[in-house]
Amino acid sequence: MSMTVPTRFLIGPVPTGADKDRVVQQTDNDALLARWSAINSGYLEDTFTEQLMDPLLKKERRYPLINRGTYVRTSTIDRLVADFLSKPTKSMKQIISLGAGSDTRFFRFIPGQSRPFLYHELDFPVVTTRKIKSIQQGQDFILGMSCFGEPNIKVDLEAGSLQSQYYYIHPIDLRTVKPGSPIPEHIDPTLPTLFISECCLIYLSPNEADDIFRWIVQSFGQASETKSNSVGIILYEPIKGGDGFGLTMIENLAVRGIVLKTLHKYSSLERQIARMQALGFTSGNGACDINYIHNKWIEAREMERIDKLELLDEREEWTMLAQHYCVAWGWVERGQQFEDTDHTPFRKWSELLQQEDIGPVQD
Amino acid sequence: MSDLDGAVELLRQCRPIPELQVREICFKAREILIEEANVQIVDAPVTICGDIHGQFHDLMELFKVGGDCPDTNYLFMGDFVDRGFYSLESFLLLLCLKVRFPDRITLIRGNHESRQITTVYGFYDECIRKYGSANVWRYCCDVFDYLALGALVIGAGTSVQPTRSADGDDIETRVREAEDEVEIEVIGLGGVVTRQMLRREAGMINSTNLTPSALPHLSSSGPAGPLLTGIPGTGASGNSRGIATPNNAPANTGGAVLCVHGGLSPLIDSVDKIRLLDRKQEVPHDGAMCDLLWSDPEEIDGWGLSPRGAGFLFGADIVKQFNHLNNLTLIARAHQLVMEGFKEMFDSSIVTVWSAPNYCYRCGNVAAILELGEDNSNAVLRSGGEEVLFNRENTRRLASTYMGGSMKRGGPGRRYRVFEAAAQDSRGMPSKKPMPYYFL
Repeated sequence: MSMTVPTRFLIGPVPTGADKDRVVQQTDNDALLARWSAINSGYLEDTFTEQLMDPLLKKERRYPLINRGTYVRTSTIDRLVADFLSKPTKSMKQIISLGAGSDTRFFRFIPGQSRPFLYHELDFPVVTTRKIKSIQQGQDFILGMSCFGEPNIKVDLEAGSLQSQYYYIHPIDLRTVKPGSPIPEHIDPTLPTLFISECCLIYLSPNEADDIFRWIVQSFGQASETKSNSVGIILYEPIKGGDGFGLTMIENLAVRGIVLKTLHKYSSLERQIARMQALGFTSGNGACDINYIHNKWIEAREMERIDKLELLDEREEWTMLAQHYCVAWGWVERGQQFEDTDHTPFRKWSELLQQEDIGPVQD
Repeated sequence: MSDLDGAVELLRQCRPIPELQVREICFKAREILIEEANVQIVDAPVTICGDIHGQFHDLMELFKVGGDCPDTNYLFMGDFVDRGFYSLESFLLLLCLKVRFPDRITLIRGNHESRQITTVYGFYDECIRKYGSANVWRYCCDVFDYLALGALVIGAGTSVQPTRSADGDDIETRVREAEDEVEIEVIGLGGVVTRQMLRREAGMINSTNLTPSALPHLSSSGPAGPLLTGIPGTGASGNSRGIATPNNAPANTGGAVLCVHGGLSPLIDSVDKIRLLDRKQEVPHDGAMCDLLWSDPEEIDGWGLSPRGAGFLFGADIVKQFNHLNNLTLIARAHQLVMEGFKEMFDSSIVTVWSAPNYCYRCGNVAAILELGEDNSNAVLRSGGEEVLFNRENTRRLASTYMGGSMKRGGPGRRYRVFEAAAQDSRGMPSKKPMPYYFL
């Protein structure tokens, strides 16, 4: 005789694994809407974001401080990506966007390049399927994929995968990626590679997140007997969960079921740097909070332009919010003795902290 | 207005009132406000409050902590609307109280009481959401144009009546002698006295900023640093205009306190110049009126550009000179979030009061209100034989008398009451409550 369980217990308040995943997947809508608002308000230029939006999503302008934060986040990662792409290497370069969601970087960067690069996006199948549907409907995306010749697009909508000449979407649950995990098809670990985690690894457990770091450092950027190589990573994520603002953030996000799982372990700029160092990005690394980047990295003319877009009345709130997010970066070069240049693409990043007044600021 | 009390009752439950009634109340409020001066004169005792920003349930918490209106005389320094979910109910409740008890509540204008800002920061959308049209928003904006630009509090005492604490060990205070006066008292969370500073020590704190230790985990400041005696000739020391000080002058007056939402303006060197402004308009993008609502004190010399894009930054020298020239002992302002609820700067010549706890349901801060007590010595009437008419129009002279008589440092006694956000369950939030935004 089988036990009957009242239905309400089956769908009860305890969230299932799938519910929790959905919550994380929906954070991409937040990022998408925030980016749409920043674009719409003149902070960013990006014609692709709007075409990725579900028509049912309510397009609401965000507050100026959110627009500004989105601007600093996007433009800073763009800058680090541009640094990586600008340094010539012997081999083609490769970028892998973890939990890419509605990332539009491939399409924004590819038209301006003299040489193509490979771009791989990894995310949950439900997210990638949605994105591929949008891409199929937008002519601009096809054009982007055709910048360097016939794109040869292959789509498996059921699986949520897209292949083209240089742009790939992989349906992958990142929690399954561990040291020793096979390299997904079409990803080439022998190429100089940049990883991007924009609010992605923070949703994994500290062990899962560390495992992805280990997988990257072990599988990518290895020199061969004749060729140098390198691999680097850019992280954008919250820090400082322990003060009044941070505790409130944790509490508010918990109401939505969002848990920032690595926040405690990587709670400060120092810890982010130590993480880079300990997990193998040892050739160079650094971390700055968004407030610091906002005040120090943005050029005066650009800042003047931004200041004119909207009155930023939320000044103190902005400072506080911006101090709770950081950009961290690190890379490792191997086989420097070889004459090729595949170990050097990250070298521009070492200039980031060279100026005397630049360095992580603590309060 | 017969059903004004009914409207207050509805609003106290955080329920909107009918559009027609909003129109009526706004009209009535305008009739009252139009009679008020640009710088409204307010007699102590008074409780000064900073930004509210539509956090209705926290405004109820404020009234719990500070007492109800009209029992307590209130002065709100603007920014009633925007950001929070209940701008409409918060502002209309304050406005109803203004109509009902015009002499017991003073409302001055903040930079968010503007058509332009409310369309960006939420009040406009809230009105559309709750009424389906922009009419109510328009009525409210028309009231905004009539709000005073500042207030001058007169008749404050130099000390506050010390509050007895349930737990005396918490109080950072020296042994009080009979003649000692408590200049600053901080009532922390739960009504516990967390700090009392005596006049002789509070007079000149050897640090530019005083932050409260109301919440030990939020405050970085320890006990007051080394103490100096008042230095004559500084704005903070009181009698510095060369006005003869009668020996038998009153020693118990706290001087005049200017209340304004933002701060000072390079175009305004006297309170009288504020009085000359034509305030009945939308907040301009620049100029004196804009600066009063937008500027911030900052650790700089002189004036600086504001990163807000409107108003200016001003340093200690500007504040001290302004206070000195205008016989003020203190400027009270709001406009800037301070995590501890209040922050005195520049040798206590200016204070920021912030009354929106957990601002935007995101910032994790506490809030505060500032109580200025009455001058119980009845000093005006026995001020060295000089006859002073208690004339509201003659405040300048009155203020001079107050200041001239001050033998000790002339600041008012100040009691800060610190409070937290209302408990979540008292908010009656809709089940799908809007979330503060984060970067995800």
